[in-house]
Order: sequence, then structure tokens, then C-alpha cells
Amino acid sequence: MVTRTACQLLQRRFATAAAGSARAPAPGGRSQRSAVFSREQARQRALYPRIEKIEVSMRGPGLDGTLLVMNKGMSTPLSCARHLTEHHVSSSALALVDGEPWSLHQPLTQSCSLTLLTFKDRDPTLVNQAYWRSCAALLGQVLETAFKDDFAVELLGTPEVPVTSGAFCCDVVLDPQLDSWTPSEESLRSLTRGAQQLIHTDLAWEPLEVAPSVALEVFAHSRYKQEEVEQKAAQSPKGTVMLHRCGDHVLLSVGPLVARTGLCSQYEVTALHSLEPGPRGLRRRAQGLSLPLQLQAHHTVWRKLRQRAEKLVEVPTLEEVAPPSAPDSSPPASGQPVTTSV
Amino acid sequence: MRLTLPALISHGRVARRIGLGPQSRINMLRNILTGLVRHERIETTAARADEVRFYAEKLVDYAKRGDTDEKAMKMATFWLTEKDLVPKLFKVLAPRFETQSTGYTRTARLPNRQNLDRAQMAVIEYKGHPFPPLYPVKQDNELTLVNQLLKGYRQQQEESSTRPS
Repeated sequence: MVTRTACQLLQRRFATAAAGSARAPAPGGRSQRSAVFSREQARQRALYPRIEKIEVSMRGPGLDGTLLVMNKGMSTPLSCARHLTEHHVSSSALALVDGEPWSLHQPLTQSCSLTLLTFKDRDPTLVNQAYWRSCAALLGQVLETAFKDDFAVELLGTPEVPVTSGAFCCDVVLDPQLDSWTPSEESLRSLTRGAQQLIHTDLAWEPLEVAPSVALEVFAHSRYKQEEVEQKAAQSPKGTVMLHRCGDHVLLSVGPLVARTGLCSQYEVTALHSLEPGPRGLRRRAQGLSLPLQLQAHHTVWRKLRQRAEKLVEVPTLEEVAPPSAPDSSPPASGQPVTTSV
Repeated sequence: MRLTLPALISHGRVARRIGLGPQSRINMLRNILTGLVRHERIETTAARADEVRFYAEKLVDYAKRGDTDEKAMKMATFWLTEKDLVPKLFKVLAPRFETQSTGYTRTARLPNRQNLDRAQMAVIEYKGHPFPPLYPVKQDNELTLVNQLLKGYRQQQEESSTRPS
């Protein structure tokens, strides 16, 4: 078992070395979206022309009181972990900066306290939720590239599902030509293989906090995504939207995602259910099951969980969340933050 | 059995010699057994703990007969030198082990005594005592991803088994 994980790690290292050197141009709009993302990323980095130092104090078992002097706007929690040990780098999935969940690749902007979260903490609820979100994002990425170029695929977003429901979901609308198609086991297996390839290349999920205008430019191809951007911008306190990029695929997410695709080890696309037809076409829900590298399950346990993940997961509706006593019943205009009474 | 020197020298005889003679051995074991019934967990030398284990379990078997039984009361009054422990034996220990048929005691080794003799020490206890366990049970974290998925799986199995009713 030790040699198996060692072999996997060696294979991954060679794969990233080969793949990282040359990025093949992605088809059509993907490269454009990636270019917009890179431009915005470079612009945000250029806001800190001179290197200014910040003090980051570490929290955690054995680390309390460690003070690291890092660069403002350039150092990420991952670079802080690199100053500690390799175990911290490989096992940490998420970070807590001043009590706020923070992606491992997002730069730190001021002196703060940092906690590195792993899957085996006393309370890994945040990490579990972030992992579920990341796996759903990966599923969306796989679905976008899985079909031939003749068929259009529109990603509708990943609903927030609790971990106890058994599977993460990604809602998608396929080309009208595929309305009568139901996926066979072989096609699900090929989707799984696509996901495993992404996991194998160990791509990082790079976060970027952008203004809604940039996000609207990125998602110019999809009207649904633009509405989602406006909704999220209205809900967030700062009016900004969080984008993540994995390889060439840019996506929108509610909260932070884990550090790299390499953190997942067991990943399977379990089902593709058809929901009721909506305004854009027949809505489908793709479901999957995954476990991280540090928490691998025995094949008997995995088989039982996978059987459960094939059943349709009902997403809890958001109608009960909005408070009924809100004075303005009309939907808020985009760009203006909504003050919700807590 | 291991081919140790004491085992070979004894030429197959397995009875342990404790104290000054057989009567002294019984008296010593009686005192140790009284201490065990009073405190429910005691530390002694390994040999004495092993010897008293047989008598501790036999005493509970006699106590299960009930305090109206003539023989059981005689045994209890003989073996327990402090007579206030006789009601404790019949009213507390016997009902505790009603459902079990054997294995009322547990022993565990301790580090050797720090005196000049460096004797091998052991702790012997009656099961079901209120003290913290000798071997602390390692609790698996309920909140890890695998355990949360399994929790959801178990809930769903319960729902599907109770639904067709």
C-alpha cells in the first residue's frame, strides 16, 4: 500500500512536469475566457509594484506563535506552508485567515493569523464542504469537454449540497439533439476517466476576486451564467465575485475550493439524471462521488457509497432561506449589495 | 508452554507457591480478594493477580446463587475478611454479572515496581466498574468526510427499511 501511493505520487510528478511546460490551446471560447482571467490576474498583481512585508502568525497544533514574514499581495497560504514542512504542503486543503475561509492559492493582503486545515482535523466541516464544491466544479469541467464539438453544452452551475446527501451534483443543459440520449455505463466510465486524467495532472484551482463587470465579460457566452454573476454580486457584502481557474476552465463558485485536483484520489461519475425541461432545454443533473487522498475507502465501503450516489439527490429549495419580513420585495439591482436583516 | 528454566525445573507441576505455605497462600489471597471486592481495581504483583483471578470469578459464581443459599453465604463470609463487603458482593456484584457466564475480571500488566526487587506488577479489576478504562478506546472522528458519507448512507438504509410498513 505504501509503494502504491509512492508510485502514484511519482507518476503525478512526472505528469505535471511534462504537462506544465506546454499548455495546448483550448478550443474556442475557453482560451478567450482563460486569457481574460490571466489579464485580470496580472492586473491585480501589478497593484503591488514594490515588495511590502506583512506578518503572518500561524495557529495550529505545534505551530502556535510561529511568526512568518511574508510579502504583501504575493504570498499565499501555500507559500507559508512551504516554509513549514512538506507534510503541511501536501495535507493542507484549505486555510483560515482571521477566521475566514481562504483558498490556499489566494494572496494575503495584510498581517493576519493563519490556520491550515486538513481532512483529518477535529472539525473538518469547512474542508468537507469545500471539497464537495471542488469535485462538483471538476465534474462541470469534465462535462464541458467530454462531448464532440457539434454538441453544445451549457453548465448551469453546481448547487450547494450537504455531504451527507451522498453525492455532489452539477446541473447541465445539453444540446437538443441529445434530448433522447441516456448515458450508458460505458459513457459514465469514460467521463470518470476524463476526471481521473484531470486529477492525474494535478492542476491547481487558482482563485481570483473580480468586479462583476469582468465576470460578465468572462461569461459572455452564457446568459444563465451572467444572471448567476449578478445574483452573487448582489449577495456578497463587497459586491465582488469569486472566479476560479483550473487549467483552462474558468468557473464561478460560492465559496473557496480546495488547493489542487491532485487532492482527490477516488473519483467516479455515478449518474446523469434528467430533470424537468426548463426555459433553456432539458435540464440534467450529473452526480459523482469522490474521496480525498488522505481518506481512501476500502473497495467494499466504496461500492456501497457508490450505489447510493447513483440515486437522484434532491437539492433543498432556496425559497425558505429569504426572510419574509424584507420590505423591498422587488429583486435588487445588480451591483448594489443587499442588506439582509440577521 | 515456553521452555523457561522455572517451567523445566518444576517438572510439570503448575501450582504456584505463594507466602510461607498453603495456609499462608490462602490467607494472602483472601486479603487481596477482599481488597478487590472493596475497590474493584487493585495493583499487585503479577503472580498474585493471576492467582486471585480464579478465586474472584469463583466467588462471583457463588454469589450468583443468592444470599439465601447456605453454601454461598459460608463462602462469602470465609473469603471476605471485612464483613461489610458481604452485602456488596450479593447486592452489587452478583446482579452486575447476571447476563455473563464467565470473564468477570480483567488483568493488565504494569511497569515493574521501582523497589529493589523490581517485581512484575499487574492490575486486576472487576468489569463494569465506574473508573476510566485501562486501555482508552480510540474514537473515530464522526465529522470526517468518509464518516459523514457513511452516516448519510446509514440514515437512508433506515428510512428505506422503515418506509414499507
